[in-house]
Amino acid sequence: MALNPHFLQGSRGEQRLVQSLINEHLKIYGVEVTFIPRKFVNQSTIIEEVTASKFDDNFLIEAYVENFDGYAGAGDVLTKFGMSLRDEVTLTISKERFEEFIAPFMDADDDIELSSRPREGDLVFFPLGQRLFEIKFVEHEEPFYQLGSNYVYKLKCELFEYEDEVIDTSIEAIDTQVEDDGYIANLQLVGIGITALASPVVGTGAIREIFLNNDGFNYSSNPTVSISTSPSSLSGSDATAVAITTVRAGSQSVEKILITNAGFGYTEAPTITITGGGGSGAAATCSINTASNGVIRFTITQAGVGFGTAPIVTIGVPAGATAADRATGIASIGIDPSSGFNRVNTIFLTNTGAGYTGGETVTISDPETISGIGTYHFNEVVQGMRSGTQARVKNWDYDTKILKVGNVGIGTTTTGFFPGEDIKGLTSGALFSVSVFDEDNSTDKYNEGDIFESEADLLIDFSESNPFGSF
Amino acid sequence: MLGNYFYHQIVRKTVIAFGTLFNDIHVRHDDGAGNVISDLKVPIAYGPRQKFLARITQQAELNKATQITLPRMSFEITNISYDSTRKAGITQTFKAKDVNNDQMKKVFMPVPYNLGFDLNILVKQQDDGLQILEQILPFFQPGFNISIDLVKSIGEKRDIPMVLQNISQQDDYEGDFATRRALIYTLSFTAKTFFFNHIAQTPEGLIKKVQLDYYSDSNTRTAKRVQRYTVVPKAKQDYNDDDVIDTADDLLIEPGDDFGFTETSTFFGDGKEFAPNRGVDI
Repeated sequence: MALNPHFLQGSRGEQRLVQSLINEHLKIYGVEVTFIPRKFVNQSTIIEEVTASKFDDNFLIEAYVENFDGYAGAGDVLTKFGMSLRDEVTLTISKERFEEFIAPFMDADDDIELSSRPREGDLVFFPLGQRLFEIKFVEHEEPFYQLGSNYVYKLKCELFEYEDEVIDTSIEAIDTQVEDDGYIANLQLVGIGITALASPVVGTGAIREIFLNNDGFNYSSNPTVSISTSPSSLSGSDATAVAITTVRAGSQSVEKILITNAGFGYTEAPTITITGGGGSGAAATCSINTASNGVIRFTITQAGVGFGTAPIVTIGVPAGATAADRATGIASIGIDPSSGFNRVNTIFLTNTGAGYTGGETVTISDPETISGIGTYHFNEVVQGMRSGTQARVKNWDYDTKILKVGNVGIGTTTTGFFPGEDIKGLTSGALFSVSVFDEDNSTDKYNEGDIFESEADLLIDFSESNPFGSF
Repeated sequence: MLGNYFYHQIVRKTVIAFGTLFNDIHVRHDDGAGNVISDLKVPIAYGPRQKFLARITQQAELNKATQITLPRMSFEITNISYDSTRKAGITQTFKAKDVNNDQMKKVFMPVPYNLGFDLNILVKQQDDGLQILEQILPFFQPGFNISIDLVKSIGEKRDIPMVLQNISQQDDYEGDFATRRALIYTLSFTAKTFFFNHIAQTPEGLIKKVQLDYYSDSNTRTAKRVQRYTVVPKAKQDYNDDDVIDTADDLLIEPGDDFGFTETSTFFGDGKEFAPNRGVDI
């Protein structure tokens, strides 16, 4: 027998006494830190790494700061990648306290692998300095088997390298630490939409309707529609129209011809010629209305604000006329270069109607979000109601209507949110409409991509094409 | 001796051109079920910078919760070397129009230099690095040309090839756990640029008309011109938006535009000669 049998080398009672004393010391001399376990969202095989993580639990625990006279590590250094903070800290926590008060909760969570001990990759929020440390190594044998057992974990930590991990512990002091970090996109939202207004301009001897007799083939762009001139010499008497193409069975052809101005003073149906656009074969004829006034064009008195899709245009039936005499129109929308919001650009006519006096009403349906509602909450998930794209709120400024978001997905699109769709806060219920989705991260003080882009616009000729993106 | 001040900012322009090539690179993460839950635009910056400026802009608040945000790209010039293979004759000059007026400028042939660039990519995950690499590498075979307006005053656009020379990867995944894994890809490029000398003024203007007189005899002292052939530019687009392309548009043609020619032959029997100084027949 190698050991002296008259000494116990550490009985269970002695070990418990030491553990209790350590626990007590940690409660007296320690710092209250928050332990945040890492949950794997996606783990890549072959190259073996966790590609997406989230941190949404928090556990308070007392820890002794080993490097009591300051952080270890290289401190703040300037690297070729900008500022890097290389602070390190070693924290000692009680093994018993972890196993009794944290491990059972972690064990109950299906998203957490290995719950019996603190793990490399977990986070610790250190309140003295508001730092998020990542555990690099868990030392469990230091001090080395005193009275035959180990009583503490030593957590060797480095400041967290942040990418796009979700930090949603529900403790504001922790979650807001990465409020300005990582990739942040800006959504310019529309606070209050404005309904567009228009009034009809009427005239006789105008085109009543254009009939597309042959939609042609092999077009690469919208062809030009030419309409023979009106016998009237007055300004605006010549009819104009545009062709809209679509792709059918692999060939781009004319889908419809929309009237922008039905003209007036025609005594016989004008000739319509369709040229250009790279294709051929399209042909159209038209009918005219010489018996009464039709709606020949519209005067847009208010272009509106905040349209995501083209609104529906309804033109009133003239007094005493039938539904068959009703003029029909289609609105098109586009971004107003001065405000950046979608507005009604043009109202086309598909049928100019008959019997109009000019006093009839033109009703244009409201934009999707006539008035934004609610307040987005920090860290809540917002969703584009048409794209399905989700993101997390980093910051919401009601005055400027700029919503900063991180963790931007792409939903069913190829690039994420798109102008015109509604953005809903899934927790707050806040609802506004997107005007501009700006992918450039203007919050990151390191990024100079925008500066390169604007400076390069003055120097570089990308008129042919730039395969690296749209500049 | 070398005293004429000029500064075309060739290096700065090349740095801007290089930087803008890589400022639209994205990294995506999915949730394992195929749904993209994060689409990041990778930030890029020119690496060298004033230390105090870096500190006060990137760490304005002294207490910062995290070490750094990743992924990141940075680049810097590593060397400047003369490229003798692209050198043209030192006495050759060419004329270029001043972009501000119709005067001509005399330009000596530029000196070819190669600027070495290192593009560094720091990522947290190997998959991020591979996504970034795949968005860059197919475009360099091994060069990629960019047209850069190197000298603004003469509108001198040159195709500058950016040639990918080498790729190195640093992955410190071995060792003790206290040392963090660093994943850095370094792509070495050569930008084949040119340095221009002082741009000199000349009294010459743009040639907008060519006139050739034919004589009936080879004795130029006695022979008189009998036929005149003139060529002037002819507009191919409606510059003044009057819906017709006519001689009024011809006057508005700019150098570099796509234009045709109006050729005129005139026959004379008046026994006169052209006086170049006065511009008339006498």
